[in-house]
Amino acid sequence: MDYLLLLPVFLPSLAGLYMLAASFWGHVTAGSLEKQQEEGKRKRIHLLTAVVLVCSAILALCAAWSGDRSVTLFYLMKDIPVYFHVDGVGRLFVTFVSIVWVAVGFYSFVYMEHEGEEERFFGLYLLVYGILVALDFAGNLVTMYLFYELMTLASMPMVLHNGSKEAIMAALKYLFYSMCGAYLGLFGIFFLYQHCTTLTFTAGGTLNAALAAGNRGILLAAVCAMLIGFGAKAGMFPLHAWLPTAHPVAPSPASAVLSGIIVKSGVLAMIRVVYYIVGPDFLRGTWVQTVWMSLSLLTVFMGSLLAFREPVFKKRLAYSTVSQISYILFGLSLLTAGGVEGALLHTVYHAFIKSALFLTAGAFIFQYGKTRVEELGGIGKQMPKTLLSYTFAALALIGIPPASGFISKWCLAQGALGADVGMFRWLGPVVLLISALLTAGYLLPVTMKGFFPGKDAAAESSVRKERLGMWLPLAVLAGLSLLLGVFPNSLISYVSRIAGTLM
Amino acid sequence: MAFVQNLPFISIILSLFSGPLSSILGGKKAKWVNAGVITVIGGMSALVLSYVVSTGEEYVYRMGHFPAPWGNEIRVGVLEAVMALFFCIIMLLCILGGIRERENEIEDTKQNLYYIMVDLLLCSLLALIYTNDLFTAYVFVEINTISACGLIMIRQNGRTLEAATRYMIMSLLGSGLLMLGICFLYDLTGHLLMSNIKEQVALLRTSGGYHIPLLVSVVLMSVGLAIKSALFPFHSWLPDAYGYSTVSSAAILSSLVSKGYIFLLVKIFYRVIGFDMVRDSKVINVLFVFGIVGMIMGSVSAIRESSIRRMIAYSSVAQIGYIYMGFGLGTTEGMVASLYHVISHAATKALLFVAASGLTDTAADSTDFKDLTGAGYRNKLAGVAFTVGALSMVGIPMFSGFISKLLFAQASVGVDSMKRMLPTLIALAISTILNAVYFMKTVIRLYTPVRRVKRDGIVFTQVKMKENRAKSFALVCFIALNLFLGLFSEPIVMLIRNGLEMFA
Amino acid sequence: MSTYLLVIVVLLPMLAGALIPIIPFKTRTQMMIYIEGAVLLNSVLVISMLLMPPEGTLVLFRFTGNLSISFRLDGLGTVFAAVVSLLWPLATLYSFEYMKHEGHEKVFFMFYVITFGVTLGIALAEDILTMYFFYEMLTLVTLPLIMHTLSKEAIMASRTYLYYSLGGAAFAFIGMIFILTYGTTSVFVPGGVLDAARLGDKTNLILLIYVLCFCGFSVKAAMWPFSSWLPKAGVAPTPVTALLHAVAVVKAGAFTIMRVTYYSFGTDLLRGTWAQYTVMALVIFTIVYGCSRALKETHIKRRLAWSTVSNLSYILFGVTLMTPLGLVGALSHLVFHAVMKICSFFCAGAVIYKTGRNYVHELDGFGRKMPVVFVVFTVSGFALMGVPGLCGFISKWNLAKAAVASHNPLAYAGVAALLISALLTAIYMMTISVRAFFPGRDFDYGKLRGVEDPNWMMLLPLILFVIAMFAFGLHPQPVIAALESVAALMG
Repeated sequence: MDYLLLLPVFLPSLAGLYMLAASFWGHVTAGSLEKQQEEGKRKRIHLLTAVVLVCSAILALCAAWSGDRSVTLFYLMKDIPVYFHVDGVGRLFVTFVSIVWVAVGFYSFVYMEHEGEEERFFGLYLLVYGILVALDFAGNLVTMYLFYELMTLASMPMVLHNGSKEAIMAALKYLFYSMCGAYLGLFGIFFLYQHCTTLTFTAGGTLNAALAAGNRGILLAAVCAMLIGFGAKAGMFPLHAWLPTAHPVAPSPASAVLSGIIVKSGVLAMIRVVYYIVGPDFLRGTWVQTVWMSLSLLTVFMGSLLAFREPVFKKRLAYSTVSQISYILFGLSLLTAGGVEGALLHTVYHAFIKSALFLTAGAFIFQYGKTRVEELGGIGKQMPKTLLSYTFAALALIGIPPASGFISKWCLAQGALGADVGMFRWLGPVVLLISALLTAGYLLPVTMKGFFPGKDAAAESSVRKERLGMWLPLAVLAGLSLLLGVFPNSLISYVSRIAGTLM
Repeated sequence: MAFVQNLPFISIILSLFSGPLSSILGGKKAKWVNAGVITVIGGMSALVLSYVVSTGEEYVYRMGHFPAPWGNEIRVGVLEAVMALFFCIIMLLCILGGIRERENEIEDTKQNLYYIMVDLLLCSLLALIYTNDLFTAYVFVEINTISACGLIMIRQNGRTLEAATRYMIMSLLGSGLLMLGICFLYDLTGHLLMSNIKEQVALLRTSGGYHIPLLVSVVLMSVGLAIKSALFPFHSWLPDAYGYSTVSSAAILSSLVSKGYIFLLVKIFYRVIGFDMVRDSKVINVLFVFGIVGMIMGSVSAIRESSIRRMIAYSSVAQIGYIYMGFGLGTTEGMVASLYHVISHAATKALLFVAASGLTDTAADSTDFKDLTGAGYRNKLAGVAFTVGALSMVGIPMFSGFISKLLFAQASVGVDSMKRMLPTLIALAISTILNAVYFMKTVIRLYTPVRRVKRDGIVFTQVKMKENRAKSFALVCFIALNLFLGLFSEPIVMLIRNGLEMFA
Repeated sequence: MSTYLLVIVVLLPMLAGALIPIIPFKTRTQMMIYIEGAVLLNSVLVISMLLMPPEGTLVLFRFTGNLSISFRLDGLGTVFAAVVSLLWPLATLYSFEYMKHEGHEKVFFMFYVITFGVTLGIALAEDILTMYFFYEMLTLVTLPLIMHTLSKEAIMASRTYLYYSLGGAAFAFIGMIFILTYGTTSVFVPGGVLDAARLGDKTNLILLIYVLCFCGFSVKAAMWPFSSWLPKAGVAPTPVTALLHAVAVVKAGAFTIMRVTYYSFGTDLLRGTWAQYTVMALVIFTIVYGCSRALKETHIKRRLAWSTVSNLSYILFGVTLMTPLGLVGALSHLVFHAVMKICSFFCAGAVIYKTGRNYVHELDGFGRKMPVVFVVFTVSGFALMGVPGLCGFISKWNLAKAAVASHNPLAYAGVAALLISALLTAIYMMTISVRAFFPGRDFDYGKLRGVEDPNWMMLLPLILFVIAMFAFGLHPQPVIAALESVAALMG
């Protein structure tokens, strides 16, 4: 029994709920505030959020990095506890989630100025953080499912933040796709529950061999349903369509965490199911693996292509996410240590990179209200620090050495080549390569146009000062994505240790 | 011989002579004589019943102590006594329930004629019930027809004349067929007394001779009586006859007259031909099929009706179908169910007719459904009574219809052949639904409030219980009777079973 | 405890109800106190009876032969009786406020209270005839409640209801006759009463009869194709729709099906036969069908009614699995769905009561104006969707667990249907909540002046339901253990 695990879950959740209630109550009573009071209230909100966020991040890291802790909260059903446990994967996830969450949080203090409804936003922001920590610490499948659903429900209002018709529709789309995915996952859980010795996560799987042998067909179908279902959150084809709709309309910090972090919970769910419950051995060489690989490669290619054609900046980034997450999924689908290693690395890197990219887009919107790529000519003159950070992050995503993306892609390609997966051995790396080219094609023009707008570009008359609160978090994230590429060894060794335990 | 044994004969004679007596009396007095006679006969029937039950045997009463073939015999068992008792009760209540309508609808000079007809009708019914002689039965069938015709016609409007004519034609056709059948039997056996014929038929059956003529005679008699009791598809005379005659006529006709014929048919089956013989012939298949078709078609026609009286009339067609279907099952259980239904339907149908008349009172005797909207509020007792009748027809537990339905269903499940079991069950279910459709639709309409007080010149009025005490009394008795039949059916079913054993 | 209590709790509400129009109440408050007192007293009697169960049978009355009206308390009846008697006082409290603007209160409460007794009659019936008797009674006593407004629509709805119900009962009747004929006894016995010796080679016939009987009783449980009466009956006042059309009446249908399946026909005979597959296929179809219709419907009460159609088939799905586990799933959904659906109906009712708005698109921006109601509504929506932590998840879990364990391919399809339905539920419930809370940027709240939460009589039940939903969702073990002990008898 180790209640330290519960602190980083409950502290932000309760604080978030409190803020939500306060915001809601404020609307219900509908008292209008004086300008000055309003300012004071904002300050208080920011202070509360910052304190809670930092405290719980520290708590989360402490809890994660101080040994194998576990705690059973209560029993949901006779044989199904709500159970938290820290293991390698959870530790990794919690770490990058916390870092990104804090950084983006600070960024939002400035950014949310022009979006309004800050109390609600930060309430949700804290709440989702608590849920995410719980999701990462979840020690069995049902606990994970519980927080997976809660995460969907809590993050949904972040999407519709600005309250426009479009945003509401996008939020609903997000909700329904996620629910659809979650229910597909639940479908599988029902079957796994029946055919597994336990639903507690155990490296290597807990499938009851005797039972599973007789029901192989239905079990494979169930696992396939789960992969597609959890793939919805990870933006995998065919349930990816919510992503390019929801991310652009959400406030930029929200899209940053949606794209950088929340989609990763789909990845986490898949890791948990495949490597901790079903076991990779059961899937290796089956049609499910083939389907999974094909879908992920298809998504990689399709995402990049759509991003390449997309003129709206945030939407382009969203498509990029679709594509990049499927890199990770492809790595996972190889069912080899190498593949998992690459996937985990890319998970971490992509979290930093994609958040940084979205924060950049947010900065453009915040400062100049520019949303389309062709409007960004010459922006480098006005926002050099921002654009520079963007460029580093973009290079990392494309995978130009020594930036981080290179390392993960290298691992992925190697994993693919080393795996016994038939034609996917060469098809995978080829698709990855093409996609990398496309990535360069859709990310770099912003930099180039931004710094070198050409002669005929009209000079922006008013130059606004870049805000420290905005570019610093951005720079930190971009820097991290660069640094982790230059000094990747400790991370790689940690990741390969995890991957080793899974096989 | 105990005195009680004379009572059946006395009751027939009493009712027979009260008719001519009424012809010299005025309307009022005739009414009291009539009511008195029915009450007395009812009392006598009850005494006979208790006597027969206590001895546990039927007895034969020879008129004038002449042996057959010169004399005429009466045969009294439990079933006969039960029927006589119920017929008296129901007839009395029908007469009470329709006093006011009769007085309004029939010319003053003809008031006493009406009671003559009723007396004769009662006489013929009793005779049909008790007689042990086929020819006597035939004679009283004709008397029955004529007096029933009178009952229809006595309310004078064009429709009743037409209806009476139709009724006459169909009835005579039926009587003719019956007559032919009796002639055949007489030819084959040389007897008219039921018990004698039965012996001869049994002999013929073992010897195997005259198989076809015997069959033909059974068919002729069955069909003849089926026509007379309005089995589908011979029911065309019925809706008009029941729909336009005066209330007590309609109630008596639907609940008693047709039942008298049915009872005669049962007697012919058991006492003349022998039930085994009937079962082996194909006649019951025909009855079965027509019964089931009638159950459905009667209800379908009822759904289409827009007049409450005609709707109830069509419902009779369906109910007669139930009874013949029970015959068609060819088992004792089926027969018990049918006989129970004879009683239960008689009670319910009379209740419905009287209640409907109470409802139409509120809308100047218009029987159109549109005028009856909200009538349940205007005449509360009639509304409740109609609801009880409707629920009974649908077969809600607690009411008599449920017990009939239960007995029919149990009988059909007891049948070995699937060919009969399933159609019966399905038909029962469908017929229940159809009954629900038209009866409950009516009930809902009765309790749908209406704001306006007149429609097309018909003024809606409030009717209080006190205004027509006789009818209120009749309705209350009917409701009680229905509940009694629904809740304490056990003794009655036992009596019917005993009676059938005595028959066989 | 004495067996007489069994009949007292059935007759007391009937009597109390019948007296309502007769007693000359001076004020409305007096009447309210009388009614609530009667209902509460009866509930207390029921609950105390459930806690100290009386042994043995009470024969109230004998029809013919071995057919009697008799009562006995057993596990299954306990569950249903408990649900009914816990919800009735709350619903009554709610209706005092709600019925203020509907009129004809005396008639309404008369039948409302009588229905309580009749429903308990179904729960406590010892044999199939008694159950059938109360089943028919239930149709009749709830009819005036649907007719209540006496509008043309209400009349049409009540007719449809009546035809469907009586028609269904007619087919159920056939099943009853067979049990009476081929059963060793007409009393409910776990595992069934059919006499194999008497049955002989008529197995196929009895299966056909089972299907007919199932369809007959399922009319009340609104199974497709007999479901359309339920949404139509939504014209009734909301307390009726909520309590009767989400709990008492429709669950009585599900309950009777449980009785005939597990206690009369017996699952051993039915499992794996075409009869099982037929009814299961119908049920699975209804699960999806109900949800799809709910999605299309913009009238809020009708939408909830279609949702009920779908959810009732969850229960029936559990029943048709024909395993003890399936019964546990069915019972748990019976209990939990009662709480969730009555809660969402009461929220809808509160909106109708306060504003007279009936359609989904009219509810924009209500979240701020009726905060309690809409928060509760959202929670009940989450519960219906099956969000873990709320009770809907528990029952869904139990159903799916049973389905997977039954190793029946059709049941696997049923699991898929459950989840499809959950997704559709998410869509039709969440669209309401989202619109209510987030009406759009330019929404003018001035239009909603005067819209506010109702008073405590309406809110108290809502709050209690929410607490119950969380309590059952987070700590369902006591309830589930009780249900398991009921199902364990099926062995």
